[in-house]
Amino acid sequence: MKTLRSAFPRHLFLAVFSILMIYPVIWWIGASLKKNSEMASSSLWPATPMWENYTKGWNFSSEFSFTRFFANTLTMELFNVVGGVLTAALVAYGFARLSFKLRGMWFGILLATLMLPGQVTIVPQYILYNNFGLTNSYVPLVLPHYFGGGAFFIFLLVQFIRGIPKDLDEAAKIDGASVYGIFFKIIFPLIKPALVTTAIFTFIWAWDDFFAQVLYLSSMSKFTVGLALRSFIDQFEVQWGQLLAMSLLSVLPSTIIFFLAQKHFVEGITTTGLKG
Amino acid sequence: MKIQGLVSKGLMLLLIAALVFITACGNNNNAAKNNAAPAPVVDDKKDAAPAEPAAPSTEPKKLSIMWWGPDARHEATLKALDVYTGQNPNVTFTPEYLAWDAFWAKLPTLAASKTMTDVLQMDAAFINEYVSRGTLEDLSDVDLTGIVDPKIIENLKIDGKLYGIPLSNNGQGFAFNKTALEATGVTLPKLGWTWDDYFAFAREANEKLPEGQFGISFTDSWDGYQYFQTSNGKGPLMSDGGKTFNLDKDLFMKFYNEHEALRKEGALPPADMQAAFLENDAQADPMASGKVMLVGKSVGSVSALEDLLPGQVDVVNVPVGSAGGGWAQSTIFLAVSTDSKNKDEAKKFVKWFITDTEAGKALGMTRGIPINEDIFKALEPNLAPKDILGKRLAEAAKPYALPFYAAPAGYTEFIDFFKNEMDAVMFGQQSVEKAYENINKKGMDSAAAIK
Amino acid sequence: MASATSYDLEKPSLWKKKKNNYSTNLAGYVFISPWLVGFLLLTLWPIGQSLYLSFTDYPLLADPVWVGADNYKHIFTDDPLFIKSLGVTFTFVLFAVPLKLIFSLLVAMVLVKAMRGMNLYRTAIYFPSLIGGSVAVAALWRNIFGLEGYVNEVLSWFGIVGKGWISNPDFALSTLVLLNTWQFGSTMVIFLAGLKQIPAELYESSSVDGASKVRQFFTITIPMLSPVMFFNLILTVIGSFQMFTAAYIITNKGGPINSTYMYAVFLYEKAFKHYQMGYASALAWILLAIVGIVTALNFFASKYWVYYENDGGDEK
Repeated sequence: MKTLRSAFPRHLFLAVFSILMIYPVIWWIGASLKKNSEMASSSLWPATPMWENYTKGWNFSSEFSFTRFFANTLTMELFNVVGGVLTAALVAYGFARLSFKLRGMWFGILLATLMLPGQVTIVPQYILYNNFGLTNSYVPLVLPHYFGGGAFFIFLLVQFIRGIPKDLDEAAKIDGASVYGIFFKIIFPLIKPALVTTAIFTFIWAWDDFFAQVLYLSSMSKFTVGLALRSFIDQFEVQWGQLLAMSLLSVLPSTIIFFLAQKHFVEGITTTGLKG
Repeated sequence: MKIQGLVSKGLMLLLIAALVFITACGNNNNAAKNNAAPAPVVDDKKDAAPAEPAAPSTEPKKLSIMWWGPDARHEATLKALDVYTGQNPNVTFTPEYLAWDAFWAKLPTLAASKTMTDVLQMDAAFINEYVSRGTLEDLSDVDLTGIVDPKIIENLKIDGKLYGIPLSNNGQGFAFNKTALEATGVTLPKLGWTWDDYFAFAREANEKLPEGQFGISFTDSWDGYQYFQTSNGKGPLMSDGGKTFNLDKDLFMKFYNEHEALRKEGALPPADMQAAFLENDAQADPMASGKVMLVGKSVGSVSALEDLLPGQVDVVNVPVGSAGGGWAQSTIFLAVSTDSKNKDEAKKFVKWFITDTEAGKALGMTRGIPINEDIFKALEPNLAPKDILGKRLAEAAKPYALPFYAAPAGYTEFIDFFKNEMDAVMFGQQSVEKAYENINKKGMDSAAAIK
Repeated sequence: MASATSYDLEKPSLWKKKKNNYSTNLAGYVFISPWLVGFLLLTLWPIGQSLYLSFTDYPLLADPVWVGADNYKHIFTDDPLFIKSLGVTFTFVLFAVPLKLIFSLLVAMVLVKAMRGMNLYRTAIYFPSLIGGSVAVAALWRNIFGLEGYVNEVLSWFGIVGKGWISNPDFALSTLVLLNTWQFGSTMVIFLAGLKQIPAELYESSSVDGASKVRQFFTITIPMLSPVMFFNLILTVIGSFQMFTAAYIITNKGGPINSTYMYAVFLYEKAFKHYQMGYASALAWILLAIVGIVTALNFFASKYWVYYENDGGDEK
């Protein structure tokens, strides 16, 4: 009884806050059902909902439908997330826990790669992949995730690993575990919240990475959802209803992934008995 | 703890590593580039010599081709490519089709890596830049007699050479919301109207239209002003490939003082509102949102309005001065890349693209009014309302048309600058006189930078 | 060698012994090898190229021509847009970073509690950060902050006449700061993960000792969370300096009258609109230097407030 009463203000606050944050979706759903000629009207909901914005949008091209584009993107994302989570954790452990020559230098360089605006490396990078004959393929989009997944995630995991009491490593070391054993048996399970974070962000950011996708994917058969969405926007003519409808569907996977993944934050870690 | 040394040390080492790298490969950067560009110069000459292939070869060829557009254009073009392969079984295509933004985001990188497609669609707004960098093949030897009006071809030449095969007839005019104007009794713009009529229209509209609606909007783009200057016989802002810059002070002051007077009378949209306009946006388009009654439109863009305001739009010419007004010309082309290894086949294809009747049938109106009159005549009986609107705009523009003056290479920054200066006037941050000085100086500097 | 010994990410204790030197070196390199190989194979060349190109006139559509330090000279002596965009960017960073960090920490503290329905709340609150920066999203923003948008509609209930929040040069930048704060989800999620990593028994034992909630926040939460706060600070600063999407699509390429002309927009337009890739590369390296200095200062300051489990024990 008591907990219910004390939880009520919190629920009220969260509910109001959530509605505020999610309010644009209401506009979005309404607009996705409008005709182009109705877009300018200020009413949230169209006179007659154009459900065909969804069906027509989904099958906008006679060649491929969004089924294909979602399948392409989700497959690519599966590889991205697996590669990103695994290799970022490995690299982060190396930087956070092991001592080796030139470690400081490499870590500084790692951070510096984050600070150089990507726009100026796009062209040399493209030339590089082109020399390897890897354009019009997913390789340039997926491969970087297998090389540590980028400085952001490595640095993130380094900070998390450094927050783990070192006593745990030492205890395992005394029990005869190798550095590799410690990584897999102790560190990897303990940084689960951070790994989930890495997985979520890898997924969402790769989903949104329009510029790389437009550069490296040429044939429509390889299009991602993001690329296909651009097909609704031409120089003079935008198919607003279909664009908004498909855009709304395109944020669904990220939302579902987040919804499923975030419960892992609830569990947290248990180090009971290991400290003091 | 010497953590603070970490980042600076890393940065320093990265710098050193990069410098070493430069000295290692900077000197022979040509070698690096040749790697990226497996299109030796020698090939160029060999290919250019036999301009028109004597006999159709049967050796299998693959042409890559890239264009932008909406989905209807994609499907029509793919069909046309099939027709070509049907007629020339040895030629197949690697098509790539994108939306406008994506196309222009991608093309510079392809050009930089020397991997532009054999054939590509080009736009008048960009062709000068691409030609000036030597990325497009000279197509002067493609014989278009009997297909395209020679006057049109002459107009399109850059330094005496043709770099793009024109695909359709475009033209500039104004579109207005006939329904809304008639309902409030505002005199409709008439064919052949002048700039004085234009400003009078703005005043009359302001009197008769309800609060928050306006006859015209503020002209803050360089080409919007250029219509005024060219129609009054003072020529374009940039000429001679950009080496000459001429912003006529009297006309500029007259044009913008008139606008400032209108602003004081309340006959122009407030600055806040105008700055939020976004052409062709369903919500923020000045005309589709119902706020502005008259806007400048080309044949290509006016048909999109039909979609936003079905049945309500009519068209008129650009207001005329002593010299005429507006332009009528092709602004969309097929070009051939200098990187191409199949230039002969590419040239044959681009000519076929506007000549073949079967191709014309497949392509329809998806790139506007076909440049080839025979092909257009075959399509004319079955035009959609939006195509008819485009056609009417082209007809309105033609009698008064002056040449089309695109911005030469090297003026992209000037274009942004012009708009920013005029927006500053609009927001009351500077005078028209000051804007003239700034713009004139920027234009002179841009002209001086072109050798 | 010097850098290896002077560098102190932490104080390794067990594997630092001399006789193990070879094997820990090896283990270290084995672990970082995915990144190292990727860096040498895929990143180093483009980065080196961009530095080389910053000393060239590179029209992108044609080959680069060496011009020495001309680009840098021009940027520092004769480019009003450089000054303008730098000013806009610093203003943005100054306001956007603290706002976003504080707001996301507060929200994370609320959302960390286990309660019924929390899944839904978290997802709803994270949603604005999920939708990214597509064209559809830009339309959505215009709908909220436009002249006839929802913000002004709400204001009108109170008799206030609204402005064009993203179309007026006096307000556009502030609106972008707000909007950026609204998309606080990523930093919030990282705080959330950080909060979850704090062992619950720390709070339990201090509760037994009679510590108040506020006291716990300052004596447990802040120190334990400080490595994650530090991470968020560094990355939010870097991200804010490179802020691009919102300024490009929502205020339409840095408008009105360049009032939201962020450095990254300037750089992008130089490279891909005006085809001056050499100049853009020089701009990028200048930004690298600026962000590098700010980051180095942050690292320097971090030793006064960031608490690492293992360091703490060693240093006493």
